[in-house]
Amino acid sequence: MRQVQPRQNNLGIGGWIWAGNYKLERYLYILHRVTGLGILLFLLIHLTMTTVFRIQGQETWEATMSILHNPWFKFGEYLVVVALIYHALNGLRLILQELGFLMGKPTPPIYPYRDSLRKKRRWTMAMIGIIIILCLVFFYDFISGGW
Amino acid sequence: MRNTYLWFIQLITGALIAVLAGIHTVWMHLDAILGFFGVDLKDVTGWHSMIERSREVMWAGIYIALLAVVLYHALNGLRNIILELTPSARTERIVTWSIIVFGIMAFIWSVYVPISLLST
Amino acid sequence: MDKEKNEQITFKIQRYNPEKGSEPHFQEFIVTSSRGMTILDGLIYIKENLDSTLAFRTSCRMAICGSCGMLINNYPHLACHTQIEEFHSSRLTIKPLPNLPIIKDLVVDLNPLFETHKSIKPYILRHDDKEMENPTAEFTLSPQGLEAFLQFTYCIKCGICISACPTSASDKFFTGPQALAQCYRYCADTRDEGEMERFSVIDTDHGVWHCHLAGACSEACPKGLDPALAIQLLKRQMVSRTVGLGKKELPASTVPPNTETKPKVPFPDFTVKGSK
Repeated sequence: MRQVQPRQNNLGIGGWIWAGNYKLERYLYILHRVTGLGILLFLLIHLTMTTVFRIQGQETWEATMSILHNPWFKFGEYLVVVALIYHALNGLRLILQELGFLMGKPTPPIYPYRDSLRKKRRWTMAMIGIIIILCLVFFYDFISGGW
Repeated sequence: MRNTYLWFIQLITGALIAVLAGIHTVWMHLDAILGFFGVDLKDVTGWHSMIERSREVMWAGIYIALLAVVLYHALNGLRNIILELTPSARTERIVTWSIIVFGIMAFIWSVYVPISLLST
Repeated sequence: MDKEKNEQITFKIQRYNPEKGSEPHFQEFIVTSSRGMTILDGLIYIKENLDSTLAFRTSCRMAICGSCGMLINNYPHLACHTQIEEFHSSRLTIKPLPNLPIIKDLVVDLNPLFETHKSIKPYILRHDDKEMENPTAEFTLSPQGLEAFLQFTYCIKCGICISACPTSASDKFFTGPQALAQCYRYCADTRDEGEMERFSVIDTDHGVWHCHLAGACSEACPKGLDPALAIQLLKRQMVSRTVGLGKKELPASTVPPNTETKPKVPFPDFTVKGSK
């Protein structure tokens, strides 16, 4: 008998990023991963800045801070804040749901099927509402201080 | 049950970061809104207020705790993402150990710098 | 679409024949569809009339065997369970399920699925070997106990959840939503005592903790099984065992529950007489 190896067909990282026709939680998963990696990058930059420029004394620190008051850096900071707010609130949802809260109980599958995430979608929507409100609050503060 | 502990700590540190980083972010950024409530931050990013904060036990405690939980949460999350790319078992070990070493070094360095500046 | 009105549907099918050494490529077929026609009917029409070399797997044509899972317009479906009309489109792109190796055309290798399914020990595990070898009576199972896992017993092992899962997309060793849901099905069973044996299988660097609740498996599941719910409940169980919170119920015994049963109604005489 001739043996032919099956062809591997894994989507790879493309399978993380491309969510197609899947519903809300699939997109929240992508955003959670992207914001997580973004915050990690910011954390490394932030730690480097607050240590390397700090240990060189007051003049270097104040020079660096004056550069960071540039509107573009302010805008970047705002993006980091938005990522933090999203990652924190979606993370709280994930903590609750991964520990089995806000997931409901197993039910007999009767057509049309509604999975537990869809049954609890109002909580997800409430979470998104809080995220938007917090982002607006921080946005107000960023523009009120003057760019 | 090693991975269960790792992930459970990931969840707990996540909740802690939401509180600690929340304090940090609000203090650093919401100057207009905090000013409305009568909290005057003066110049939070200034040199003197920064040194002053690292002298206060409460702020120093918050910052060191935040640093520790953030490093655990971020680096464990990064490791989880790298493991999902299924490198070989040997690469996985290298990834794990380099992440642990990096985390410890980053913690020590970031705690050392403000302490070394306390006397100035 | 009227019953009489027939529409020309273009099936764009991914072909791949490893014996010819070709790369996967697309081939188009035109099928006349009528009301109520499923994708599988279209594929059978193609195989019978247009190109007999087209390979796909099918058996029951009614969403019970789980053979015909495929990626239709970039969403995993059972071909027999999906009507052409649902897509409101005259072009259909049909590909084999991703995240599983392709054998030929639309046929995927389900061996990885079966292997991981076997690895979580999908059967009742008990510590009392004597009772298992020489059973004296059945283990009792209350209706509430049954409901806790009944939903997860309907798995047909079609591989659709694996092709929907973003972690399975990159992680070849990931246990996968199918096996994890089945793991919960046995761990939640009151007759079972094998929790710790199964936990050691899924508590690895490619195990249950790489589920990040994207929910795609539950959406795509053609049997409404909700693997995402099962996996989250499994995580809850694992954490409560590890941390030592929550109560653990004793495994079911062979002794029937201590409930009053109605006395047997005596057999009515007349029916017996009448039947004579």
